Amino acid sequence: MIDYRYDHRTVQGFILSSIFWAVAGILLGLLISVQLWYPDANFAPYLTYGRLRTVHTNGLTFGLGVGAIFGLTYWIVMRLCKRPLLFPRLARVQLWLFNVGIAAAAVTLAMGYTQSLEYAELEWPLDLAIVVLWVMFAVNVFGTILKRREEQMYVSLWYVIATVVAVAVLYLVNNLAVPAGLWKSYHLFAGVNSANVQWWYGHNAVGFVFTTPILAMFYYFLPKSTGLPIYSHRLSIVAFWSLVFAYLWTGAHHLVYTPLPDWLQTLAIVFTLFLIAPSWGSVVNGYYTVGQDWSKMRSSYLTKFFVLGITFYGLQTVQGPTQALRVVSQLVHYTDWVPGHVHMGTMGWVALTVCASIYYVVPRIYGTEIYSERIANAHFWLVLVGQLLFSITMWITGIRQGWMWKAMDGDVLRHPNFVETLQGNYPFWILRTVAGVIFAAGMVLFAYNVLKTIQKGRALERAAAPAQPAPASAA
Amino acid sequence: MNASIYKKPVAFAVAATVVVLAGTIATMAYPMLRPEMHERVAGMKPLSALALAGRDVYQREGCTTCHTQTVRPLRSEVLRYGGAKAQEKGAQYSIAAEFADDHPFLWGSKRTGPDLAFEGWLRPAAWHGPHLIDPQHVVPGSNMPRYAFLAGRPLDGFEIQAHMRALRKVGVPYPPDEIENAPRALQGKTELDGLVAYLASLGKAVDRGGAKVVVGAAPEQPNPMAGNAAAIGRGKALFAERCASCHGDDARGIEGAIPSLVDDVFLGVQGDLPDAAYFAIVKGGSDAKAALGRPGSPDGGMEAFAGQLPDDGIWSIVAWLRTQKQAK
Repeated sequence: MIDYRYDHRTVQGFILSSIFWAVAGILLGLLISVQLWYPDANFAPYLTYGRLRTVHTNGLTFGLGVGAIFGLTYWIVMRLCKRPLLFPRLARVQLWLFNVGIAAAAVTLAMGYTQSLEYAELEWPLDLAIVVLWVMFAVNVFGTILKRREEQMYVSLWYVIATVVAVAVLYLVNNLAVPAGLWKSYHLFAGVNSANVQWWYGHNAVGFVFTTPILAMFYYFLPKSTGLPIYSHRLSIVAFWSLVFAYLWTGAHHLVYTPLPDWLQTLAIVFTLFLIAPSWGSVVNGYYTVGQDWSKMRSSYLTKFFVLGITFYGLQTVQGPTQALRVVSQLVHYTDWVPGHVHMGTMGWVALTVCASIYYVVPRIYGTEIYSERIANAHFWLVLVGQLLFSITMWITGIRQGWMWKAMDGDVLRHPNFVETLQGNYPFWILRTVAGVIFAAGMVLFAYNVLKTIQKGRALERAAAPAQPAPASAA
Repeated sequence: MNASIYKKPVAFAVAATVVVLAGTIATMAYPMLRPEMHERVAGMKPLSALALAGRDVYQREGCTTCHTQTVRPLRSEVLRYGGAKAQEKGAQYSIAAEFADDHPFLWGSKRTGPDLAFEGWLRPAAWHGPHLIDPQHVVPGSNMPRYAFLAGRPLDGFEIQAHMRALRKVGVPYPPDEIENAPRALQGKTELDGLVAYLASLGKAVDRGGAKVVVGAAPEQPNPMAGNAAAIGRGKALFAERCASCHGDDARGIEGAIPSLVDDVFLGVQGDLPDAAYFAIVKGGSDAKAALGRPGSPDGGMEAFAGQLPDDGIWSIVAWLRTQKQAK
């Protein structure tokens, strides 16, 4: 009998850590959303919007996102390889280093130590720590896969392998910098070249943190929680290879109309349009999988998380290519449309899929059921409403302000005073804070539900083995 | 596709790496080999030690989260950010060559505040200090945080010297003596001074100052718009559009930085000027000011509106200002 208990505690540690950073990052998100319409909520020097927005994005991308990816990937890898992790202690060390790293990231960013590269803000000492973390992850993932007890590698493992490889390449190149002090460095690349490297990285951070590992979860946990097999294996293959191929060509769509050479912009736009196909390959596969029995939407509470998650992924991957087009970019780029777009992906696709996967995993660590399906359903509706309200208000005000920037009467600007175009944002920004509160309430319910499930599981464990001392908790 | 690859993790990982590297090489690595990624404005100097210190502050405070630094080649944008005055048409918007020393680029991705690429041309340096200290006082309705604390933080010259050395390593052509002199150059300077110097440097690698038009004073000419109610209304609107961002909605300026236009003391001298002199200053900017013997602030921050505002528009602004002076 194989004993998974130690590895499961590691997985649980990553899950609890990611929930902790999620709640912290979301509360911080609420504060910075208030700062945008109420500047007195800035407390210089540490708690200003300029510094805290970076803490918010890093806390959620790396704290929630990568934390959940570490934990849930280990779960998936163990199941698909039919064995425990090859290096269980290493994974436990990785868990602690991860939390120390995220805490250090939050502190140093609030102190203003930043490379000013989006999603690669952390200064070089922390970059080195992240490389160590990623190597630990890669060693365990590859080691376990190499020693697997199931010959065929399932789709989810493809996405896991692609994630490990691509993130390594992206992170190493974009963080090349010359240190100028312990907490200060300068990018090795300059000007347009620096911009091109950064957005090759930045867009693929979205691709290989918020897409491929989340697809690995989707392809594994959707069939598991519905009992329905993936609709088309062939479609999975085509979608996988075309996605990981095309993603890397698209970074420059973040630089439309900048001084970056036009051919690079155009190439990126073309590949971005192409990217709709593989993205929708997974969307179609997901829909047809659930389409084998739509009654699962009612009978299995996790199904709706996955279906809405993949729906927002589908919308996201049409909206993204649309706003990459020059004619659309010139209207909405640099406006609130873009945060609206990003938050549909993160609050819709990523959060729904990750939460559902966690709901699936945590009870199974203890061989029990979720603490409350009713709370999980309330969580679902709150985050759905919160996210829609958030994204839609941002799209509206983005178009509104973009239009004001462009409006001309003959040869003169209709709104030459920038503040005039800014002030129209305030009602929408207030509404966005309300949306954030609704979303945060949903996530607090989620955290409560997971903690109560663990509490229930522990009680069951104690009842089953009263003589054994309980193993130390990971978080 | 050979199905057995899904049973061989090493082969699979190699295949995935190759696929990932294709786009990486084509769009990230290969462009580095092309000269168009490494252009440099002829004769461009690296930032001064003081401006570099300011750039470090700009990075540290996350100014890039709300301010972009690229003016796009769009008509409305070129107008909004003053690019239309560039002597060369190709410099009306941001160009690659002016960012040659930017490690990293600081273009940003969101304009919660305005673009700053041409800020060095748009506003006098004197405007920035008071604005950074209390943005809402200078720009009512702004949501920018207050950065008054920067004024109380002295710069560490040796730290900036180390930064210049690191930048030299990545290719910024700092002359050794400039690096040597950095601590002396920064003596007594604060982070606020640095940030103001950096903002004043933005966009300055390229001439976007417009044609020099010195409008001599013609003190005898009366204001054709004087007392014309419609013109005064238009003058008020034009002032709000073009002048209020520095001089304030009520034309009272910022004490010690931007002159009040309704005070009895104007440009350091007690007493009024004829309308024609105001007209000349608006049209010709700082040079016209100096020609009148009233240099005002030492950096000569007044913009020349020749070619941007029609003559009758300038006369209308002056007519409105006259009503404000009388009201006071």
